[in-house]
Amino acid sequence: MIPQSHFLILGAALFAIGLYGALTRRTAIGILMSIELILNAANINLITFNKFLGGPDGLGQVFALFVMAIAAASAVIGLVLVIAVYRNMKTIFTENMNIMKW
Amino acid sequence: MMNGLIRQLSDIVNNYGLPQDFVVQASFYVLAGLACAFAFGVVAMRNIFHCAVSLALCLFCIAGVYLFLNAEFLAVVQVIIYVGAIVTLFLFAIMLTSNIKDRSIRQANSQALVSAVVAAAILSFFIYIIMGNPWKIPASGTAAHAGPGLNDIGRALMSSYALPFEFISLILLAALVGAIVIGKVKK
Amino acid sequence: MVKFAHLIPLFPFAAFAVNILFGRRLKKASALVSIGASVAALAIAVMAYIGNAFGGEGSYTVGRWISFNGFALDFGVIIDPLSCMMLLVVTVVGTLIQVYSIGYMHDDKRYSRFFAYMSLFMGSMLGLLLSDNFVMLYIFWEGVGLCSYLLISFWFERPAAARAGMKAFITTRIGDTGLLIGILLLFFTTKTLYFKDLAGLGINDATLTVIALLIFCGAVGKSAQFPLHVWLPDAMEGPTPVSALIHAATMVAAGVYLVARTYGLFLTQHTSLIWVAYIGAITALMAATIATVNNDIKRILAYSTISQLGFMMLALGVGGYEGGTFHLMTHAFFKALLFLCAGSVIHAVHTQDIFKMGGLLGKMKATGWTFIIGGLAIAGVPPFSGFWSKDEILSEILKGGHPVLFGVAALTSLLTAFYMFRLIFVVLFGKPRSELHAHESPAVMTVPLCILAAFAAFAGFFRPVKFEFLTMGVSIAISLTGIGAAYVFYILDNKLLPASLRSRFAFLYKLVSNKYYVDEIYGALIIRPCMRLADIASGFDSKVVDGAVNMAAYLSLTAGKVQSWFDLYIVDGIVNMTANVTWLCSAILRRFQTGFVQNYILIAFFGLAIMIFIKLIGGR
Repeated sequence: MIPQSHFLILGAALFAIGLYGALTRRTAIGILMSIELILNAANINLITFNKFLGGPDGLGQVFALFVMAIAAASAVIGLVLVIAVYRNMKTIFTENMNIMKW
Repeated sequence: MMNGLIRQLSDIVNNYGLPQDFVVQASFYVLAGLACAFAFGVVAMRNIFHCAVSLALCLFCIAGVYLFLNAEFLAVVQVIIYVGAIVTLFLFAIMLTSNIKDRSIRQANSQALVSAVVAAAILSFFIYIIMGNPWKIPASGTAAHAGPGLNDIGRALMSSYALPFEFISLILLAALVGAIVIGKVKK
Repeated sequence: MVKFAHLIPLFPFAAFAVNILFGRRLKKASALVSIGASVAALAIAVMAYIGNAFGGEGSYTVGRWISFNGFALDFGVIIDPLSCMMLLVVTVVGTLIQVYSIGYMHDDKRYSRFFAYMSLFMGSMLGLLLSDNFVMLYIFWEGVGLCSYLLISFWFERPAAARAGMKAFITTRIGDTGLLIGILLLFFTTKTLYFKDLAGLGINDATLTVIALLIFCGAVGKSAQFPLHVWLPDAMEGPTPVSALIHAATMVAAGVYLVARTYGLFLTQHTSLIWVAYIGAITALMAATIATVNNDIKRILAYSTISQLGFMMLALGVGGYEGGTFHLMTHAFFKALLFLCAGSVIHAVHTQDIFKMGGLLGKMKATGWTFIIGGLAIAGVPPFSGFWSKDEILSEILKGGHPVLFGVAALTSLLTAFYMFRLIFVVLFGKPRSELHAHESPAVMTVPLCILAAFAAFAGFFRPVKFEFLTMGVSIAISLTGIGAAYVFYILDNKLLPASLRSRFAFLYKLVSNKYYVDEIYGALIIRPCMRLADIASGFDSKVVDGAVNMAAYLSLTAGKVQSWFDLYIVDGIVNMTANVTWLCSAILRRFQTGFVQNYILIAFFGLAIMIFIKLIGGR
């Protein structure tokens, strides 16, 4: 069998990659995609712990479902914001979105 | 122990005389490696359109990984929601905003190197912690259960977690309405 | 059994919420919201009244409110003849006043807010009437006080109105503080806050007497009794419907209601009852005399209210519970009527000085005649309502064996009839005294007047009439004498006689027309000493404290000269070095403040990595 730690390492790796993306991408869409990666890393951990430690009621999986729903909602809002900003400012780069900055 | 899909896979492989465990494990590591590779593509590629495609593939691989965790339902949901809906949404947003053919744009900002170091450091710490932990398995043998079936999840959603479930639907509704309001072109 | 009475205050409260939140959208419809709520409350009040009349006592508990440490307090609703009667009066009068306000406030820029406040006012009062314990009562009591403040200073652009609102609030607050102390004292000594327990606490107990007097203190403030009556005349700065509401149904009635509601306590504490009687008598006589010499139509009515409330207190004080509460009801009707008539007159002629009016009866038929009905009612002419209640009070005073108080009450009745008909004769009869283009008010204002006039005329028959011919004869004689005197002074011998009387009793006239100098006495006794104390403190401050400070300054100057070279070379060196180091540090730290979110996240995760690292090498 595959040990639990390997699943966790996969989750950690995805998290680290997503973190790197969230820190470095210049476009808002890129950042949003990186955040999706981080959420998936979390989901992997949830489901892993559900399998190896959890009881039979499947709390981990239910929780992962909720995470997916939240991710969908946040993606929708984030992307609409990106589109609205693009419509008003003609830019997709976060460093140019600075009219609120002093 | 094995769930359906993987068992079928291993049956097929068995017919060719390969050891079952080896095939299962190998397929997991291949999927995990692919997921990491595609994830890296998401954060590293220049063309943002390619990034989105890479994200779709990565999420698909993660859905495959879910199969190894006795979560077939979630695997299906992952494909439907993430690959089917969210990534499509990303593609729409990309096409509505940027010029996708422009490959000359620098995609990473100036702190890329430091970020890489920090991310790598955190990853290595995590791995160190994970490997150092014995991960005690409960003695009662609950770890050996087959995992919650679709019935269990559905029942849990409608009974124990009915309230959060309703909240989620509220949040989705709010997101829906909010998206329309924000995205509406004001006359 | 009536189980829905607790809904009554909720309607006005809901109307308040709607109007205050959506008033800008509703515009003129906000009046309909308020009136609709009032009518709904009126309907339920009628049902409660009927239910009570045919089903006996109907008090009940709505639910547990507070419970701690063995003590429990319930949300209770008290339904008895007193509260039912007052509910009816408040809802009827309140509804009519709100209808009238449509006309009176029609072009005010805070129209919807006015109706919101009116609804809140009514809701608080209705809640107060229904409360069955002191805590609930106190909450609504303060609500009523707050609304009076908001409404008196409704036209807060005018400094006089703002000041009047403040005066009303602060003056009543003095009484409220007494009430609060009384409630707390009651709780700590007897462990009960329910009205129904009050009668059985003990007879002529010193602590209970103090409690009763403290509660009476609250009533004195609210009902504008001497010595806290000074706020009510100033409250005339508010819109006239507000004055009508305050004087008739809500604010001042609360004080009398409180005494009536806690009557069990007063009855068992004899000393407190005597206090109530004498305070009431002093107030009644004093306010009546002031009203006879005042020239402002609304202020005359205000002093009349104070006088009548004193009358009710007097009645309660001599044991005339029936007469006092009866007069509270009839007074609500005819005083609301009089105020609304006065408002209609002011609306028409845009002045409040009665000697600038005159001969208005010809031009304003409805207002004029309803005004006369109100005047007859308050003067105590049979068969109008005021006669019955006043008569009952007089006979109860006589029965109680208080000849002095009876004399005071009779004199007050005489003065009441006199000043009321002085007002009526001057305003409505004779020739116009100045260029006034009076016109009748719109129907939305005159119709409530007519309805109220009907109540003022016939409310005396709401209870079985008691015939006691001696006092009846006396009171009829008194009121006719008063009216006759007014007729002689102001119609026949136009203004000559009052002038000669005035010169003969110059001192008395000056005393009365300056309202017994109560405001001035307060100024001299309370406000001036405070100012003086402040002056002394300021003198002390400028001479002694400043002297000490100057001396210290001189000393430190000398010391400073010694120190200055030390300062220049050593301390400055340190300071400059500190500044330089700070500048250097900030020049470095400044670079972290990029205003770029990803940068901050990076720093945060960098910190996280360091923390994990420290934990890993040290924590295992």
